[in-house]
Order: sequence, then C-alpha cells, then structure tokens
Amino acid sequence: MAVSSSAPLVLEGENLTMRLGGLVAMAEVAFTLKRGEILGIIGPNGAGKSTLLNIITGIYIPSSGEVRLEGQRLNGVPAHKIVARGIARTFQSSRLFADLSVLDNVVIGRHTHTKAGVFDAIFRRRRAKAELEAAAAHAEDLLKSVSRGLHAQRHRPAGELAQADRRRLEIARALATDPKVLLLDEPSSGMDDSDTDALMDDIRAVCAQRPDLALMIIEHDMRLVASLPHRVMVLDYGQKLADGPYEEIRKIPRVQEAYLGRKATQHAGA
Amino acid sequence: MAHPSTQPSGNALSAAFIVIAVPLIGAAFLRQFLLAEDWRLVLGLLALFAVVLVVLERLPALETRIETAFARQSRLALLVGIVVVLGFPFALGGNTYALHLCVISMLYAVLALALNFQLGSANIPNFATGASYGIGAYASALLALNFGVSFWLALPAAAVVATIFGFLLGIPSMRTRDSYLALVTIAFGVVVHQLLNNLDFTGGPNGLVGIPVPELFGHAFSDPLVVFGHALPPQANFYYLSALLVFISIVFAERLHDSRVGLAWNALRADELAARCQGINVTWYKVLAFAVDAFLAGFAGTIYAFYVGFISPDNFTFLVSVTIMTMVIAGGMDNILGVIVGAFLLTLLPEKLRAFSDYRILFFGVTVILFLMIRPQGLFPQRLRRYGD
Ligand SMILES: Nc1ncnc2c1ncn2[C@@H]1O[C@H](COP(=O)(O)OP(=O)(O)OP(=O)(O)O)[C@@H](O)[C@H]1O
Ligand SMILES: [Mg+2]
Repeated sequence: MAVSSSAPLVLEGENLTMRLGGLVAMAEVAFTLKRGEILGIIGPNGAGKSTLLNIITGIYIPSSGEVRLEGQRLNGVPAHKIVARGIARTFQSSRLFADLSVLDNVVIGRHTHTKAGVFDAIFRRRRAKAELEAAAAHAEDLLKSVSRGLHAQRHRPAGELAQADRRRLEIARALATDPKVLLLDEPSSGMDDSDTDALMDDIRAVCAQRPDLALMIIEHDMRLVASLPHRVMVLDYGQKLADGPYEEIRKIPRVQEAYLGRKATQHAGA
Repeated sequence: MAHPSTQPSGNALSAAFIVIAVPLIGAAFLRQFLLAEDWRLVLGLLALFAVVLVVLERLPALETRIETAFARQSRLALLVGIVVVLGFPFALGGNTYALHLCVISMLYAVLALALNFQLGSANIPNFATGASYGIGAYASALLALNFGVSFWLALPAAAVVATIFGFLLGIPSMRTRDSYLALVTIAFGVVVHQLLNNLDFTGGPNGLVGIPVPELFGHAFSDPLVVFGHALPPQANFYYLSALLVFISIVFAERLHDSRVGLAWNALRADELAARCQGINVTWYKVLAFAVDAFLAGFAGTIYAFYVGFISPDNFTFLVSVTIMTMVIAGGMDNILGVIVGAFLLTLLPEKLRAFSDYRILFFGVTVILFLMIRPQGLFPQRLRRYGD
C-alpha cells in the first residue's frame, strides 16, 4: 500500500533542536508526515528517537524549531491538549494503568471525548453514567478490533498481561483518543520473533481499518522496519542522517555504519 | 484476580438473605463492641473480627459471593442499611457514651472518605485534612458567634470556606509531587494550626467557646429526642445528623469513583505521565481532589464544632491528619466500605483499650499491625470497576 503523493501533510517538524542540560539531544531535525503514511524511525541508542516523540507530544518543549499539526503550531501547547488535537502515543517501556482493568485503561483513553466533571458525576448522575457507559462500549469494540485475545481479558488488571498484550493494550488505549497521528515507541521491544510478527499483523490491521491514520514508529527490529513503513528516517546523535524508502536508505554507507551494522549489511547482501 | 462468577438467578433468595444478615451481624457486633466494659470481652471481639478477616482472606469466593449479593440487591441493601442506622441508637439502651463514640466515629468516617479522594483515588499524600476540618469548624463557629448565623447556614458556608482553602493548598501542590507534596501539605497544616493559635479573632490557644446548639423546627439539639414515645439521649440528634452526612459522603464518593473523574484520578495515581498523554489535565484533577477533600472535611468540622460547643486549635493538629490517613490506609485505599470500617475501628480502639491505661497506644498499634498482616491491602481492598451490570 503506497501513500499517494498528493496526500496532505498532517504533521511536520521544522528545525527542531532540543538541549537537555549540556547535551544536544536533537539538532535541527525536520520531518514530514502525510495522511495515511507510516514513517519508520531508526537510529542507535541515544540517537534522539524518543526525544523526538517527547517533543511532538508536548512532554518536552523544543529549544528551537516548531512542530505543526495540520498547519497549527504545537509549541507550548500542554501535553493533554495535544492529545485532544489528535496526537496519541505509546511508550518505550510500557506505561499502563497497571492496577486498573484492561477495559478501564481504554476507557481512560476516551477522556478527551467525554465531558462529565465533578458536578455532573454527583448531581447529573444519569447523564454522566450514560456517557461513561457509551465510552465503555466504544472501548469494548475497540479492544475487539485490535485483538480478540485482549478483549477476552478485558476484566483483568492490566498489570497481569503478558508483554505482547501490554503493547497491544497501549496501542488500543492510544487509539481510543481517535488520533490523526499515532506515535509508537519501539512497540516490539522485549518480544520474540513470533510475538513481533503477530503484533505487526495487528498494527497492519489497525492501519487498514483507518486509512487516514498517520503513523510514526520507532523500531529496532529490522524485519519490521523493512516491511511496515512506507518511509524510514534515520537519526544519529540527534541529527537526521537519511530519510527515504527502506530500500534506499539501507544502501547508504553511513547508515549501515551508524545503525544497521554488520547484521543488516549481511541482510542487504543476502 | 477472580471476578464475580455469574450465578444462576435462583440464588436471588440467598442473595437477599445475605444482604439482610450481613448488616445485622455487623450492627450487632458494633453494638457489643461499643457496650463492652470488660477488657476481656473487648479482646474477644477483636479476635472474632480477626477470625472473620482470616476467613475472608482464605475464601475469596465467599467475599465475592457477598459482594455480588450486595451488587444484585442494591436497593434492598440500601433499605436494610437505612433501617439499621436509624434503629441503632435504640439498641444502645440510652448509653450516652456509646452514642457519643458513634458520632465521633461517623465524623471521622466522613474525614476518611474525604481524604480517600486524594490518597486512595489519586495517591496524593495530603497531610492537611485535619487542617481543612479545623477551617470548617472555625469558619462556622465564627459565623455563629459573631454574626448569629444559624447552624444550617453555617454548614454550607463553612464548607465553601474550607473548599477555597483547599484550592489554595492545591495551587502550590500542583508543582510538587510525592514526598515534596506531602511536605507542602504538612506545612499547610502547621501554618493553619499556628494561625489559629495566634490570631486574636480565633480566640488563640483558648479557642472558641459557647457555640450555640443547633435547632430544627423549634427542637433544640440539646434536648432528648423523643421518637414514638421513646426518649433517646440528646447525642442522638447529632447521631442522625452525622449519619446523614456519612450517607451524603458515601453518595459523593460512589458517584465520583464510578465516573470519568474517578477514572482520571486513578489514572494519575497509576502513572502521571501516561495520564497526561491520554489527555488528562493532571494539574486540574489534583487541585480538584484537594477541593473535594476540603469540602467534605469542612462539613465534618461544622458538625463537630456545634456538637461539642467548644473548639481549640489542639483539636485540629497534625496528629489528627495522620490518624485520618491511617484510617484510609488500614481500611482500604479507594474502597468506601473499607475506609468507613477503618474510621470506626481506629476511633473506637483507643477508647476501648482504656483498661490498658499506659499501654493503650501500644495495644492500638499492635492491633492495627495484626489486622494489616491478615489483610495486607487494607481491611477491604480496592476493586476493579464493572460496567453495565
Ligand atoms: N530528560 C533527559 N535529560 C537529560 N538527557 C536526556 C533526557 N532524555 C534523554 N536524554 C538524552 O538524550 C539523548 C537521546 O535520548 P533518546 O531517549 O531520545 O534516545 P533514543 O534514540 O530513544 O534511544 P533508545 O534507542 O535507547 O531508546 C540520550 O543521550 C539521552 O541520554
Ligand atoms: Mg528511545
């Protein structure tokens, strides 16, 4: 599935620099993301991949440069409002609400689409309850569509899930916010090959159901990087090394040195 | 964790039986405990309670069975609860001290429920609930003494004043977390105590005296309460008033827990960063928890002030806040029943262990530790939510 070149830009970053203490975690990085596109991000440890996600989601405020969502500047917008505007994410080390049920985790993902406050909860209980139950029904459907196995476990505490299901739940929770852009930080980390394959299938299914969803996915697993994204961006020491289809970027010698290493060179040769 | 198994509907009758029997047994137990004079009886009753806890811990199926019964027959449960609470003073045989202990326990139950919004739901270590309690008490007492405001008007007014202070406390707390946040709330409690102690209009260390007795339709709360020709001691007036407040607090707590707000609090308790990334305005929800806590504590403070008729700064010390916190932790974080049982237990224990005079506090500590060893998550731990049933 290719993205048509006429698809509009959803997200773009310009000249992004991030200084953390004395360290420059990101230096003048620019990127674009089109509607329906899947952008892979690779780079060695400490390259600044997660930093980029943190900038986009408002966890960090960039030292300079700007991020725009559909042309609107995001700098300085607090993290919780960025979610409401349509950017959702997962975390490198999964951060679930471990003592809540799987279903509640996804219901919380509906936070920006529900309204009831303290007053409604107490004095307009019916309305608040109906709203929450609608959110729960929505969450159930979403769980079912992301993974039937996860849906079957919806009443368990999220903390009891196996690693692969945690990742799925994090994706489901992020999708519950109805994002335009979904950012995944190393979704396959800590998984074996078969789990990774299953997860990849689930991500593909998610994208197929939402042709407009734009995805940024940080990955170390080369099988995934080679097959899932339309385009790959390579970061190294906070700088952008390359940006293009996997077939192209894997041939660039500096990329091979910097990141793909011997293993990938063999891959390329094979 | 096992969740309630769906039982055949033929069990409706046994569910009804459970829903009637459990509160009655609970009330009978509380009555014995309140009236027990002999320390051996007190220890025996505590041992019995421990045995019940052990059984519940060993047989989770029994616990879920009871829970499902109450969930199924929630109307009947409410009815039984109301009847038991209304009838309880009649079962105390005119024992004014027992009634007094009930009033104090219920006020603490309200305070513990108030703190539970923060500590239990959102994991905000607020050591200033005692201060909010004091602000409510002083605000209403000052209104009554200086402006002749009636109890019924002072009640909501004091709650509003306490809420405003709750918001104020919430603001510096927005920027701090965990231990630092705890420190901010401790400092707030100390400041409030010092102000009450040193300001002139609060009466300094002597506090405020002569707070007028509330009246309702010409019936003064200092008079015995005559119901169907049966006279209850004057404390019964405040018993019913505090019971009403506990009821209101439970309704608040339940509705908030089962709402989007309760979920947001739980989310930030589990992982603040992840909560922000689900669109939750973490700062706002923290301040909100402070406000709700102070609001209920303010109510409790007003009833206390008008009940005893005399308040001083020493009624609202740091130790009071710590006690309330212990009630929530020992009773069960984020569990309404647990928090109430915790409040009763921790209020009554020191009173009932008076026979041990100097060793009283030691016994108190040992008992709490023993109960927590039996039920490490608190007497009645947090439960997962269910929707649509
Ligand atoms: N909050 C912070 N304070 C100081 N330095 C930080 C902070 N966050 C990240 N860094 C540093 O910034 C650099 C980029 O980190 P980042 O987490 O973005 O790397 P990454 O590409 O995601 O690496 P990995 O593959 O290990 O996840 C690293 O050197 C890291 O130590
Ligand atoms: Mg990273």
